[in-house]
Amino acid sequence: MTGLKLRGVRKSYDAVEVIKGVDLDIAPGEFVVFVGPSGCGKSTLLRMIAGLEEISGGDLFIGDKRMNDVDPAQRGIAMVFQSYALYPHMTVRENMGFALRFAKKPKNEIAQAVNEAARILELGPLLDRRPKDLSGGQRQRVAIGRAIVRHPDVFLFDEPLSNLDAELRVHMRIEVARLHKELATTIIYVTHDQVEAMTLADKIVVMRAGVVEQVGSPLALYDDPDNLFVAGFIGSPKMNFLAGVVEQDTVRLPEFGNQSIPLGHLTHPPAQGSEVTVGIRPESFKRGGDAGLELTIEIVEHLGNESFAYARQSGGQMLTLATENGRSLQPGQRIAARFNPAQIMVFDKSGQRIR
Amino acid sequence: MTRIFAQLRLGLVYGALSLAAFVSIFPFFWMLVGTTNTANDIIKGKVTFGSALFDNIANLFAQVDMLQVFWNSAFLAIVGTILTLAISSLAGYAFEMFPSKTRERVFAVLLLTLSIPFAAIMVPLFVMMAKLTLINTFTAILLPSIASVFIIFYFRQATKAFPHELRDAAKIDGLKEWQIFLYIYLPVMRSTYAAAIIIVFMANWNNYLWPLIVLQTNDNKTLTLVVSSLASSYYPDYGVVMVATVLATLPTIIVFFLLQRRFVEGLTGSVK
Ligand SMILES: Nc1ncnc2c1ncn2[C@@H]1O[C@H](COP(=O)(O)OP(=O)(O)OP(=O)(O)O)[C@@H](O)[C@H]1O
Ligand SMILES: [Mg+2]
Repeated sequence: MTGLKLRGVRKSYDAVEVIKGVDLDIAPGEFVVFVGPSGCGKSTLLRMIAGLEEISGGDLFIGDKRMNDVDPAQRGIAMVFQSYALYPHMTVRENMGFALRFAKKPKNEIAQAVNEAARILELGPLLDRRPKDLSGGQRQRVAIGRAIVRHPDVFLFDEPLSNLDAELRVHMRIEVARLHKELATTIIYVTHDQVEAMTLADKIVVMRAGVVEQVGSPLALYDDPDNLFVAGFIGSPKMNFLAGVVEQDTVRLPEFGNQSIPLGHLTHPPAQGSEVTVGIRPESFKRGGDAGLELTIEIVEHLGNESFAYARQSGGQMLTLATENGRSLQPGQRIAARFNPAQIMVFDKSGQRIR
Repeated sequence: MTRIFAQLRLGLVYGALSLAAFVSIFPFFWMLVGTTNTANDIIKGKVTFGSALFDNIANLFAQVDMLQVFWNSAFLAIVGTILTLAISSLAGYAFEMFPSKTRERVFAVLLLTLSIPFAAIMVPLFVMMAKLTLINTFTAILLPSIASVFIIFYFRQATKAFPHELRDAAKIDGLKEWQIFLYIYLPVMRSTYAAAIIIVFMANWNNYLWPLIVLQTNDNKTLTLVVSSLASSYYPDYGVVMVATVLATLPTIIVFFLLQRRFVEGLTGSVK
C-alpha cells in the first residue's frame, strides 16, 4: 500500500494559476475525496497526480518517490474517467488487458488478471462485447476493471458516476465502497455529489479556487468546519447563515426583527459590536431547544420521512428548517423555531470560524 | 382536386429525377457501348452494342504499353495516397491535440493557401523541380501533393470528435504519442481514413495537368495522359479510346465500392 504527499503543488496555464499551492498527505489505503465547486481545480489536481498535466511547482511524492517528472504509466496509478474512455475498437477483454499486453506481460498472466477483475466486477458474460454494446453502468464497470487489472498502488477516479442515472449511481457507489474494502488500495476520488463524498470518504478535501479550504473526515467537516465556505458546502440542505451584531453574550439579528440569540460557549468570543455570521443547520432546529426565533412559515415541502419549511420574518432573509415531525406545519403559521445554542456556529467577517 | 395536384407533383419529381439519372448514367453507358463499336460507328452515334470489342482491345495494347502505363498510374495513386494520408493525418492530429499559442494563426495561413489555384503556382513549381533535377520523375509528382492542406483540414475537423480522454487513458496504459496515434487514433478514425482514401486516390488517379507537364518520356506516362493523347490524335480511334477510358475508370469505382459504407460514415463523423 502506498501513500501520497503533495508539497506546495502548483499549476499555471500561462499567466493563470489554477492550483495555488496544495499541501496534502494521503495515508496508505486511505479513501480520499476531492470536493468543491465547478472549476475549482479538482480534475486538474487529479490529472497532475496522474501525470497527465505537468506540475508547474512543488513536489509530488507517491510512496517515497518524487514523481513530478515520471511517465504516467510508471507512477503506479490507474485512472477511471467520467466518460469511461474505453477503446471503442476493442472488446471488453482487450480493453482490460491492453495495458498488460502493452507491457509485454505473458498471455496467461494477462488472462488471469482479466478474469480476476471480471470476477470482482461480475463482467464475465460481457468480455467479448464492444463498449458500444454495453449500458452506461456496464461501461463504467469495465473502466474500473481496466484500472484493477493493472494492480495500481493508487486509483484515481474523476467523477466516475456522474453520467449514470440516480438509481445506478447508488448501486455503483456501493460497488466502489466494496471494491475499496476488497482491494484495500489508496483511492483518490473526485465528485460533485455530497452523498458520495460523505459515504465513501475516509477523508474529504474541500477545495475552492485552487486552494484547499479544509481536510478532514466527513463528520469532522460537518460538525466542525473551519470557515463559512466549508460549512456551506458540506451538508444538505445548506446551512443557514444569519448576519448579526455581537451584544454581550448574544447576537442581535437585524434581518429578523432584531431578535437576539445566545452566542453559546466560545473560547475566544468576538469583540462587542463586531459583525458576525451565525450558522444554523436546518436540522438543528428541534423542539425543546434553549433558544428560539420567531418566524412565519412561507413554504412547506413534505418528503415523507422529513419536511422542509422555509420561514422568515416578514421581508427578511429566508431560513430552511428540516424536521422529521413537521407534517402539521402550514404556510402562514407563526412558529418559534427552537434550537440548541451549543449547535450554532459563529464566523467572523472574513468567514473564519470563531471557536 | 388536391389528389390530382399531388400526383402531378409526384410525376414532375420523378420526371426530374429520371432526367438527372439519365444524364449521369448515359455517358457510362455510351462508354461501354463504345468499347464494342468501331470508330466509324461511334461517330455515327450508334448506341447499340457491336462486335469490335476484341479488335479495340488488341489495337489499344498494340499502340500503348498498357501494363507499364497502368503500373505508373497505380504506383503514383497508391504511394501518393499512402504518403498523403500519413503526413496529412499526422498534421491534422497534431493541430487538434497540441495546444499552442500560434497554431490557429499557422492554420489560418495554411487555409489561405487553398485559395491559390494550381495554375498560379505551376510554373514556379516546375522551375523548382527543374532545379532539383526532378523533371520526369515520380518524385516530382508525389512531393507537392503529400502535405495536402485540404486533407489536413479534414483530419483536424474530424479529430475534434476524437475523445481526448482516450488519449489520456492510453498514456496511463503506457503508450507513447506515436503509439497512441497508431494503435488508438488510427483504428478509431478508420471511417475518416476511408473517406480520405477515396478522395485522395481519385484525385491522384485522375491527376492530369501536373503529370502532363512533368512526365515527359513515354515509359513514365500515366493512364490519364494516355487516354488524353489517344483522344487528341489526328485520327482518334474512338473505340480504342473507350476501352482505355473504361480501364481508367475501373480502379476508382472499385475503390469507391470497397470503402463506400465507411466513406459515408467518414463524411458524417466517424466517432460514435
Ligand atoms: N487547458 C487549460 N487551459 C487553461 N485553463 C484550464 C485548462 N484546463 C483547465 N483550466 C482551468 O482550470 C480551472 C480548474 O479546472 P478543473 O477542470 O480542474 O475544474 P474542476 O474542479 O474539475 O471542475 P468540474 O467540477 O467542473 O469538473 C478552471 O478554471 C479551468 O478553466
Ligand atoms: Mg472536473
